[in-house]
Amino acid sequence: MLIFTLRRLNLFLFTMLLLSILSFSLSFLFPGEQIINISGQINTNPEGIELVALEYGKHESILSQYWNYLNHLFNGDWGISMTSQLPISNEILSHLPATMELTITALFIAMVVGIPIGFIAAINHRKKTDDLILSLAMIGYSIPIFWLGLLTILIFSIQLGWLPSAGQISLLYEIKQVTGIQFIDILLSDSPYKWQAFQDASSHIILPACVVALAPATIFVRLARTSMLNVLETHYIKAAMAKGLTFQQIIYRHAIRNAMVNVIRDVGLQFANLVTLAMVTEVIFSWPGIGRWLIESIYQRDYTAIQGGLLALSSFIFLVHIFTDFIYATLNPLARETHRGSR
Amino acid sequence: MARDNIYQEEEFPSPLMQLWFHFRQSPVVKIGFGCFLFLCFLAIFSSLISPYSPVENHLDSLLLPPAWDDEGNVSYLLGTDNLGRDMLSRLIHGTTLTFGLSFIVVLISLVIGVVIGSLSALTKGVKSSFLNHFLDVILSIPSLLLAIVIVAILGPGLSNTLWAIVMVLIPQFIHITRNAVEEEFNKDYVLASRLDGANSLRILHYSIFPNIIEKLISQATLAQSAAILDIATLGFLGLGAPIPMPEWGAMLANGIDLFYIAPWTVYLPGLAILFSVVATNLVGEGMRHALKARKES
Repeated sequence: MLIFTLRRLNLFLFTMLLLSILSFSLSFLFPGEQIINISGQINTNPEGIELVALEYGKHESILSQYWNYLNHLFNGDWGISMTSQLPISNEILSHLPATMELTITALFIAMVVGIPIGFIAAINHRKKTDDLILSLAMIGYSIPIFWLGLLTILIFSIQLGWLPSAGQISLLYEIKQVTGIQFIDILLSDSPYKWQAFQDASSHIILPACVVALAPATIFVRLARTSMLNVLETHYIKAAMAKGLTFQQIIYRHAIRNAMVNVIRDVGLQFANLVTLAMVTEVIFSWPGIGRWLIESIYQRDYTAIQGGLLALSSFIFLVHIFTDFIYATLNPLARETHRGSR
Repeated sequence: MARDNIYQEEEFPSPLMQLWFHFRQSPVVKIGFGCFLFLCFLAIFSSLISPYSPVENHLDSLLLPPAWDDEGNVSYLLGTDNLGRDMLSRLIHGTTLTFGLSFIVVLISLVIGVVIGSLSALTKGVKSSFLNHFLDVILSIPSLLLAIVIVAILGPGLSNTLWAIVMVLIPQFIHITRNAVEEEFNKDYVLASRLDGANSLRILHYSIFPNIIEKLISQATLAQSAAILDIATLGFLGLGAPIPMPEWGAMLANGIDLFYIAPWTVYLPGLAILFSVVATNLVGEGMRHALKARKES
């Protein structure tokens, strides 16, 4: 486990290094002055710019410029937004939790719905049920997400009027932002209408989370199906059958556990895809997350915000990636130490 | 065993032919392939087929519903939008933009990706390990975010989004080519031709490419369905094709305000995207099945 951890740590450091280099070089690639792009100081006079340039080591070599940039990053100074003139780090801290809330809820829904359906498809391999599930899954990951979002708004919010169509919570409730994750904030607050606010927030998250979850759920269906089919062909399942266990005992006691392990390995890979979908969904559902903020920054040519947002969002994705790797390694001894058994 | 083959010479179909043989077994895949060819046809001959110009305004017939509606007019088969432009013509022209351009995008990134991927498979050591990690990092960034960043550098517009999507797709092709080439290099037949004195480039050209081409094609169909969705998404967000262009995503964005009074301006482009992505995915799925069947036979 130690070697595994060290290896992951190594990969993590390397990735962070590359991401910071990428983000640093973006300030040169974006149109306009590099020093304004990196700091966001758009309304200052030439003397002010000169001060900022000194601060970022503009007159020194490129390496020390990069070093200065890293120092700024670690001190929490990510520059200020070109449009709102607020510090980027604050903007990210207030927007990222909403995205986390949406993506993690969607991931949860996708796993809870997708994986069992995939197992059902695998158990009914080459029957009508399997074909039906596979065709539905194919349509599910072919639907353009923005179209699906609009259709659900039309059906569930406008025609049926069941669920709200925009925002994170109704404006009636005043919740102070502590962690940024709405549900935790509501539970922490001492408002007398806590439970009403909680219900309101949950009814707001249902539609966007389901829209984000659809495509990943169909991918989980396929992953779970393949992994279950592989498990059902192994020798220990045959041994269990020979022992005379009933089919249900085999599935519940042996097959599901071993199939789950392989599905969890791919959760991390799916996460980047899920965040992409969440970015578009946030625009449609006016969800105050980092995806909508980034897309608006593009309309406004706010290069400092794009730079910071890219760094924050991709580090978040990478952290989730490593986290699922760890879960996988804890569940599966074969993944962390090769000497345990053979495949 | 009786020989029912009267000819002395035995003919082995090439890997690609074997793939085609397995590919056409399934009827669903055949339908998907038919739809795919149909879309290609539309994309190439769009200006000949479409009844009107995609930007021509018919001011006396604004927001006409499709012809099967009571108020519809059969000269505008799928209705018109808020500026009186014929939906059918716009959808057909949109095939060229969304579907046709996604095909070109995939082709460009396939060529670049395969060249870099196979060259990198031939190098070893620090350089290749660096490239591997670098690709992992690029692949962990969401594709849309990467495309948005590239659009921010180049500025919005259709051609810039296309370059952005090309750059997003290249790492996937590098990754798959690299792995496939490395896998083939360890096989005995490559060793045999190496013992014959062939150099690496010759082996790549004559021995390896014919054996990995179907893997690349199957990845290309996956990439194309992603490319269609990305072009449409960027168009929808207003970063890709500008609004008057009949690109499906941009058409959808144009119809949002009219969603409630003229739902067909939103339904139809969405259905068009769904149709083309399903057709592409069916072809890809059939390809993967055929690959698997060929390996097992």
